[in-house]
Amino acid sequence: MTHSKFIRIVLVLTLFLIVLFIADLCFGSINLFSLDRSDAMIETILMDIRLPKAITSIIAGSGLALCGLLMQSLFRNPLAGPYVLGVSSGSSLFVAFATILITSVNISGFYFMGKSIVALFSITGAFCVTLIILMVSKKTKSNVTILLVGLMLGQIFGAMQGLVEFVSNAENLKTFILWGMGSVGSTTLKDLGLIAPVYIIAVVLSFFLIKSLNAILLNEQYAQNLGINVNRLRLQIIIITAILVGIITAFCGPIAFVGISVPIASRLFFKTSHHLHQMVFCLLIGACVVLTADIICQLMSNQFVLPINTVTTLIGSPVVIYLLFKSKLNMQ
Amino acid sequence: MIQLKELEIGYKSKGKTNTVFKNLNAEFKPGDLVGLIGDNGIGKSTLLKTITGNLAPLSGEVYLKLKRIGDYTMQDLSHILSIVITERVGGFNLTVWDLVAAGRTPYINVFGKLSPEDEQIINDSLALLNLNSLKDKLIDELSDGQRQKVIITKSLAQQTPVIILDEPTAFLDYNSKHHLFSTLKNLALEQKKLIIVSSHDLDIMKQYVTSTLEME
Repeated sequence: MTHSKFIRIVLVLTLFLIVLFIADLCFGSINLFSLDRSDAMIETILMDIRLPKAITSIIAGSGLALCGLLMQSLFRNPLAGPYVLGVSSGSSLFVAFATILITSVNISGFYFMGKSIVALFSITGAFCVTLIILMVSKKTKSNVTILLVGLMLGQIFGAMQGLVEFVSNAENLKTFILWGMGSVGSTTLKDLGLIAPVYIIAVVLSFFLIKSLNAILLNEQYAQNLGINVNRLRLQIIIITAILVGIITAFCGPIAFVGISVPIASRLFFKTSHHLHQMVFCLLIGACVVLTADIICQLMSNQFVLPINTVTTLIGSPVVIYLLFKSKLNMQ
Repeated sequence: MIQLKELEIGYKSKGKTNTVFKNLNAEFKPGDLVGLIGDNGIGKSTLLKTITGNLAPLSGEVYLKLKRIGDYTMQDLSHILSIVITERVGGFNLTVWDLVAAGRTPYINVFGKLSPEDEQIINDSLALLNLNSLKDKLIDELSDGQRQKVIITKSLAQQTPVIILDEPTAFLDYNSKHHLFSTLKNLALEQKKLIIVSSHDLDIMKQYVTSTLEME
């Protein structure tokens, strides 16, 4: 892909992103454009609800899509992704632990401490699952086996979370269920002060892996022969994905199908294997997808806001199925 | 350039050593095209892994440019020695150009930006094996013979004085086998590279190699 073509695509995608961002600010259960709204009210709605929600959508979408890309390249498996490999479920389970821990010792006075603990637990959960998947991938070369193990892990963590929910009180249960459906609307500007720096660091760090990722796309032995420290690269990818999936899951719940479908779609639309290109594309497309999903949620519902997972799954899974049949994705 | 001294190769796992082959002595020079001969399971791949530094010798030494292979860092080694292995490469929109460009990995920055000189080297390498017309093709669209040539081209772009190939003729038809070996022979002769190649096609191989290393 030539440089000028890359710039052109980035410009078009950025334009889409800006339009969707503005649209996301405009749509909601309250119509901002009717005349009887006071300026103060509009400001409150925009600054306290819709702006954090739109920014969260961008962070969640781009972050998960980037994780999907990193995992697909690491495992050289086009069907890898944080949700299908159980990473999101691991995160969820640990968030449930953290929530119970926090409510039982009641440290509500420390706003950031509570949130940080949840985020830290969530990241730990994601890290553990990715590590397990990595160990499995060293034992077997079969993509299908790795996927099945990931799916099973997801089920196991889901069942364990069911247990946690079963023994928890009514209030926690409600939190779990709502959070489990995924939402970009429950973060505040204050939360973003914690999420955004973590997100930015993880994204910037991943750009330093571009050369290594390009090399590992051949296979691990070639990458090693090309001077890449493959073990270090694996660890770097696991840490970055765990941090991104962890922090996003802690605040938005386990968002499905963005991580797997965006990189697949991006590779299908834009014929390049270079990770500088694919990373930028995935970040932009991922952000656009979750913003679109959020807009659909807002438009479809009157009193209740549709959970975002419903939309991402309804859009995402058919796309994955379609793309699988349509393209030769090098499955073994 | 490469010396094997009283080399014993094999695997160590959980305190147990499993010797595959021992008492290997040999010396290879630039310009040599060395054929590695031996039955299945005798340890050809194990030897090649030991020579490329992926596997530590059980005893004895492999010297590369008079220095023990284990004393090189991965980065240093990537400038001296390149490999062609049997594992399939493809998918993920990888084109011929991308695969050959990967050969420049040891020389470029972490963001993967190729300089004009890098691009020149890639083009020259492609030209050497007459692959210019294929450079925008996806790897998945190539025949086995073409794919093998592209991976060898990657090794050329890596600009290493030593190239090691494990069973490069495995999936090729008769003509492609001849073509591949004559290409390797030209590279060894004209570019003074040391090329070590293992193959089961003894009859064809023996017409081209300058020396053989038999394991039996």
